[in-house]
Amino acid sequence: MAEPAKLPEQEWEEQQEETLSPWKEGWKKFKRNKIALAGLSIVSFFIILAITSPWIAPQGIDEQNLSIRLQPPSSEFWFGTDDFGRDVFSRVIHGARLSLTVGFLAVVGSAVVGSLLGILAGYYGKWVDAIISRLFDILLAFPSILLAIAVVAILGPSLQNALIAIAIINIPNFGRLIRSRVLSVKEEEYIMAARAVGMKDSRILFSHVLPNSMTPIIVQGSLAVATAILEAAALGFLSLGARAPQPEWGAMLSASRALLVQAPWTLVFPGLAIMLVVLGFNLLGDGLRDAFDPKMKT
Amino acid sequence: MNKKTWLLFFVLLLTVSTALFGCASDDGEDTGGESGNDSGESSSQDTLIFGRGGDSVGLDPITVTDGESFKVTKNVFETLIEFGREDTEINPGLAAEWDVSEDGLTYTFTLQEGVTFHDGEAFNADAVVYNFERWASGTEDKFYYYKSMFGGFGDDEGHVIESVTAADDMTVEIKLKRPQAPFLKNLAMSPFGIASPKALDEMGDEAFNESPVGTGPFKFVEWRRNDRIVLEKNEDYWQEGLPKLNEIIFRSIPENSARLNALQSNEIDLADGVNPSDAAMIEENADLQLFERPSMNVGYLGLTTTREPFDDPKVRQAMNHAIDRQSIVDAFFEGRAEVAKNAMPPVIAGYNDDIEGYEYDPEKAKQLLEEAGLGDGFEMDLWAMPVPRPYMPDGQKVAEAIQNNLADVGITAEIVNYEWATYLEKARMGEADAFLLGWTGDNGDADNFLYVLLDQDNIGSNNYTYYENQELHDLLIEAQSEVDEDARSQLYMEAQEIIHEDAPWVPLAHSTPLMAGSSTLKDFVAHPTGSDNLMDVYFE
Repeated sequence: MAEPAKLPEQEWEEQQEETLSPWKEGWKKFKRNKIALAGLSIVSFFIILAITSPWIAPQGIDEQNLSIRLQPPSSEFWFGTDDFGRDVFSRVIHGARLSLTVGFLAVVGSAVVGSLLGILAGYYGKWVDAIISRLFDILLAFPSILLAIAVVAILGPSLQNALIAIAIINIPNFGRLIRSRVLSVKEEEYIMAARAVGMKDSRILFSHVLPNSMTPIIVQGSLAVATAILEAAALGFLSLGARAPQPEWGAMLSASRALLVQAPWTLVFPGLAIMLVVLGFNLLGDGLRDAFDPKMKT
Repeated sequence: MNKKTWLLFFVLLLTVSTALFGCASDDGEDTGGESGNDSGESSSQDTLIFGRGGDSVGLDPITVTDGESFKVTKNVFETLIEFGREDTEINPGLAAEWDVSEDGLTYTFTLQEGVTFHDGEAFNADAVVYNFERWASGTEDKFYYYKSMFGGFGDDEGHVIESVTAADDMTVEIKLKRPQAPFLKNLAMSPFGIASPKALDEMGDEAFNESPVGTGPFKFVEWRRNDRIVLEKNEDYWQEGLPKLNEIIFRSIPENSARLNALQSNEIDLADGVNPSDAAMIEENADLQLFERPSMNVGYLGLTTTREPFDDPKVRQAMNHAIDRQSIVDAFFEGRAEVAKNAMPPVIAGYNDDIEGYEYDPEKAKQLLEEAGLGDGFEMDLWAMPVPRPYMPDGQKVAEAIQNNLADVGITAEIVNYEWATYLEKARMGEADAFLLGWTGDNGDADNFLYVLLDQDNIGSNNYTYYENQELHDLLIEAQSEVDEDARSQLYMEAQEIIHEDAPWVPLAHSTPLMAGSSTLKDFVAHPTGSDNLMDVYFE
């Protein structure tokens, strides 16, 4: 605090400028990062695939034809057929929609709940913080997949419940992140100023504290989508997620694992899809972090 | 968080590549020698490691009902009558000879001389009487199979056995209240293995269940739950030169593919429950041999007749028309099964081959649904068994195929899974709409299929569909005491017609269960009942 005190008005303007410029600056940096752009294109590719899947997939989800089962990839069946004679290519495409939906919704859910709890904990401190933080600690004390299995076991196995389970296990990650962010933001002068002019807590929280904590949420979010998709696949593999005949990638792997030698294409393509989409989100997330995380500035 | 993602990702990659690597190394030199020949200089292997799908429930055969338990007790205990090596014909066992009175009510057994129990006690008529008295004084919870085969306990009206007495030291006389056609076959079933009276007295039922004492070719050594059961050679076995093995270890490996991998890596010598899809690979591999268990089973989709809409026979018939069994058998039994049209397999006397099975005809199914007032279809739960069974190697896949067939006629089926014990329990309580299940015959008799699985007496036990038909019941009861083979077969044929018409099941397949062993294994014969006698087995 060695610099001379500024007029409130002047500082207010500077603040306005700063809230705009990091985004622009970040985007500039992001564009220069080729790997991040590769991640972005992979992710965009899968998003387009997911949105257009009903129109571009040659077959529906469950068009069984047992007379053409386990055919190797060919011009007719690009990814071959599975043991029900279904087109693996179509199922992988339909699976993109399931996996991305689960990934996004789970992350949005955990981000919303996590941020809310994190803001409350960070802003109010004291016993509120103590309770919420201990709650996070408890959640984090479990291996995440174990916790997800437990949640699904209670709710019953289905894709929707897998989504809920994944959202729950990701809450503390967002919560802690936001809490620490809020702890620093709330000491900023503009928050003090807002408080000084008699602004209500709720308005301070949602108009000032939250927007200024957005960047880490977005960075964390894009990385969390990758984890969520993997976790959904893991639950699907354990028959705790998607129900037959839903073409969830993890469930497809699980259903075909006995065919590894006989018909490897039934495993390779859903496996590759998981790998690619997770890779895409990770590259994107890393790129976003490099671009927006103030701590990464060199 | 980011680190964790990568970690998960790598674990996935590692898993897949490890699995791929495991498959690729088939042609590589196997480094491991024979397992378990570390004892002394004997060059040939004399320990058999038998990999199977599950652990035993108990080791006292009269207290259990599951095939895994009998696989072990078959080698520890012997019965008065023994089945043939690969069939269910009756042969001498602990009874060297027997004689049946004219009226079919008195059986006189002359016992085998020179037999001793593993605890050194002599086997004699008193021991046999002791065992029968123990069983007859039990309850259904304790000795399920005794009730199921002999109709009841003690003074129960249904109890077929009137008295069991020792005529002299080596002669036992069994008197029946009424003739029972499959009586000798029943006596040959594994549950009726003769146990050492002294051991039972000293240990009590519970301890005996953990460390059994019989007269069989192998003696019990050790049981580590969910891991292994160890048996050793009975040096004093009454049959000259048997058993040939020194030791048997039963190991539980639940996954079929994991079990086969264990066989390929020489961890085990014999694998029960092989996936039909692996059969071709085993036949091509010179280090392995494939065993086919003679088919004596039925796999079916049960329709709980007390639950809507399956209380309507039309709906049940529609289900039969809607399901494409041939495709299912071709795809998920790899053709190693016969499409079923009756509730019992063709090898069993009394099989009605004149019955025309319901043909696959979705239009007919829709029409029947229409007649039942369900033209718009309906929603149902379809239960799929979570574990591979000998009568159905992959219930989950079969369920998915059925689900698709049903969708074609407007029925929306949701596949439901439970852990195996829960599955059986809940299905037995009639909580399933439709469930996949099956049965492996215990004694090769029609009674053991039709009465056990579909008679109203067995609702709440093995009649999971709660199917009730008085006419059928009368036929089955009559058949039980009919001693003339032809007349008896006739009754069972009629019974199958009634069952066909009422359609409480969609019979799916009579499978040929597969096993695999190392190529050095000799004289192993897979028995149709699923309990294999291992005393002749040796290694080359």
